[in-house]
Amino acid sequence: MNQLNENGRRPMIEAINLTKQYDDGVLALDHVSFIVSPGQIYAMLGANGAGKTTAINLFLNFIDPTEGEARIQGIVTHKEPLKAKEQVAFVSENVMLYPNFTALQNLDYFTRLGGRLGCTRDQYRDVLLRVGLAEDAHHKRLKGFSKGMRQKCGIAIAILKDASAILLDEPTSGLDPKAGFEFIQLLASLREEGKAILMSTHDIFRAKEIADVVGIMNRGKLVMERPSHELIGEDLEKLYMENMAGYVEQAA
Amino acid sequence: MIRLIIEKELREIIGSTRFAITFAICSILILLSFYVGARNYQVSLARHEAAKRENIRRMEGLTDWFSVQEVRVFLPPQPLAALVTGVSNDIGRTTEVRGRGELSAEDSRFNDDPIFAVFRFLDLDFIFQIVLSLFAILFAYDTISGEKERGTLRLSFANAVPKDKYILGKLVGSFLALAVPLVLPMLIGCLLLPLLGVPMNSDEWLRLSLIIGCGLLYFGAFLSIAIFVSTRTQRTSSSFVMLLVVWIFAVLIIPRTSVLFAGRAVDVPSVDEIASQKNRLSAQLWEEDRKKMGTFKPAASNNQPEKIMQEFNSFMQSIADEREKKMEEFGGRLNEERANRQRVQERLAFGLARVSPSATFSLAATSLAGTSLSLKDHFREAANAYQKQYARFMKEKTGMVTGGRMMMFRNETDNGHKPKPIDPGEMPSFAYDPPSVGNVFGAALPDIGLLALFNIIFFIAAYVGFLRYDVR
Repeated sequence: MNQLNENGRRPMIEAINLTKQYDDGVLALDHVSFIVSPGQIYAMLGANGAGKTTAINLFLNFIDPTEGEARIQGIVTHKEPLKAKEQVAFVSENVMLYPNFTALQNLDYFTRLGGRLGCTRDQYRDVLLRVGLAEDAHHKRLKGFSKGMRQKCGIAIAILKDASAILLDEPTSGLDPKAGFEFIQLLASLREEGKAILMSTHDIFRAKEIADVVGIMNRGKLVMERPSHELIGEDLEKLYMENMAGYVEQAA
Repeated sequence: MIRLIIEKELREIIGSTRFAITFAICSILILLSFYVGARNYQVSLARHEAAKRENIRRMEGLTDWFSVQEVRVFLPPQPLAALVTGVSNDIGRTTEVRGRGELSAEDSRFNDDPIFAVFRFLDLDFIFQIVLSLFAILFAYDTISGEKERGTLRLSFANAVPKDKYILGKLVGSFLALAVPLVLPMLIGCLLLPLLGVPMNSDEWLRLSLIIGCGLLYFGAFLSIAIFVSTRTQRTSSSFVMLLVVWIFAVLIIPRTSVLFAGRAVDVPSVDEIASQKNRLSAQLWEEDRKKMGTFKPAASNNQPEKIMQEFNSFMQSIADEREKKMEEFGGRLNEERANRQRVQERLAFGLARVSPSATFSLAATSLAGTSLSLKDHFREAANAYQKQYARFMKEKTGMVTGGRMMMFRNETDNGHKPKPIDPGEMPSFAYDPPSVGNVFGAALPDIGLLALFNIIFFIAAYVGFLRYDVR
């Protein structure tokens, strides 16, 4: 069983020396360790190819680690993938659902696929309203939805799964400012419900705004990790650039 | 879990515009094939009856059985042959039967109506083999790779979904969504058959059900192939192109190449070569008999012409019998050799062709419909059996067996009475019994088993392929 962290809380999402080297020799993740506790949002910042998506893929057991472990609620994902996935919800950068299904049909299918049976139409409607999808869109086919509307459906699916851990892969990428703001508000409410949220993002400002812990990744390494209260008054963008640049220099 | 995935597949496929259009086209084609089959059956039946009437009409007015040189027997049209034509339009439908001599079928449907030979008929074999296999590919080529391209595979497997259940649900769901709606126009087509004047007995209904069952197995095999290919590709376009290549090979190239290869590998003497050898022997025997005829010396005195004629006919009968026996032995040996070579060739061709589900289905369907290559043999056997009946009948009527270059001499005497016409109704009637369900099922069983095996093999391949599939 996973141990308590320094705040006395049991980690929900854990990376322990997580390493992934692909068959072509690329070291995508190099001994990365971090934890995300319940009621905490962890923002993984980094450029393209920094290893953020690889980390999420390891938590979802889409790939096996070369070394180390990814754990969800203490369950090692590559050893008990199905058990681990019962505890996790996932929202990708570009939520793609079945275009010929309505929002409600997609929600119904993915909620039941996630193991939650017996949700009522009212529950579906409420959650779609909660994520900000207007009622007239509930019965429309997804093929006419904008990216923001699809993201809302994706987060509604994650909410209805009622998982303790939520993994978000670049969730605000491509969203307009209003949709981005609404999304952040929604994350804040999920944090209030005690969800552990691991979010990979390029968006420094959103990360600073919402995250409890910010980790900066570069070339597969976690080069900086700071609680957000330590970042008050600091210029995160500058820190980010310094860490990126510093690491590039070291590597050079 | 499996039920949920099946439900989703059903909803996704049946709710798509692609399905609506394809289903409408397939339904029309299926119904059309039943309608065309029924019409062809009626046309064939009408022609068959007309030919039989003409056969009897030719005997009308004849006053003695000596004048009946031959009768024609006709292969009656079979209801199932109208739905799965097989070789029924290619083989001869009629045979001229004499008291002795070898029989050969002539006047195929395509001989009468060559235009139909150009593009062939629109039958169930064609619908399943060509249209429904394409239908399976069209809907299953993106089963896995399409989900990946859309991003729904990643979202699905972010949940606790076992891959084996997912692929099983996909296969069963696709099959139910595509095959079951296709059974509907087939059932309507079946109901139309009696209304369109195609009488079907219980055996034929059972055989038709088995043909449709084989069609569904064939459809399932192509569905499994399509799902398998979609688990081996990352992009739908690659999957589609690969499946088109597979389809072309399975449906068009393998069956034809197998026959070509077998034709090259096993040499079968042509009918003309055999006929030439028979003719040579026949001419030689005839020449010998002519010499024998020259040596004929009647025992009766010259003032007994009727006795002389009787003796001569008896003499002719004996040399004809002897000649016929020699011809039968020689011809039988040549025919048997040819038939044996043909069987080897067929076995090789069909054995090779069975690599393709398409050829396997066609062989199973034609066996069940009674329109496989064995139809020709059945008709020949029935005609041979009839020939014996006919010979017995003619011997009863004339005292001799006619045919096979037999010459008869009659001494006509006019005693002033008007001779009574013969009654053609006395002639034994030709009966063609189609093979029983047990026989056709026995013949089709290896192919039905093979179709089931294709389903199992490609499902296992799709299953294993998907277990290794990168769902990211």
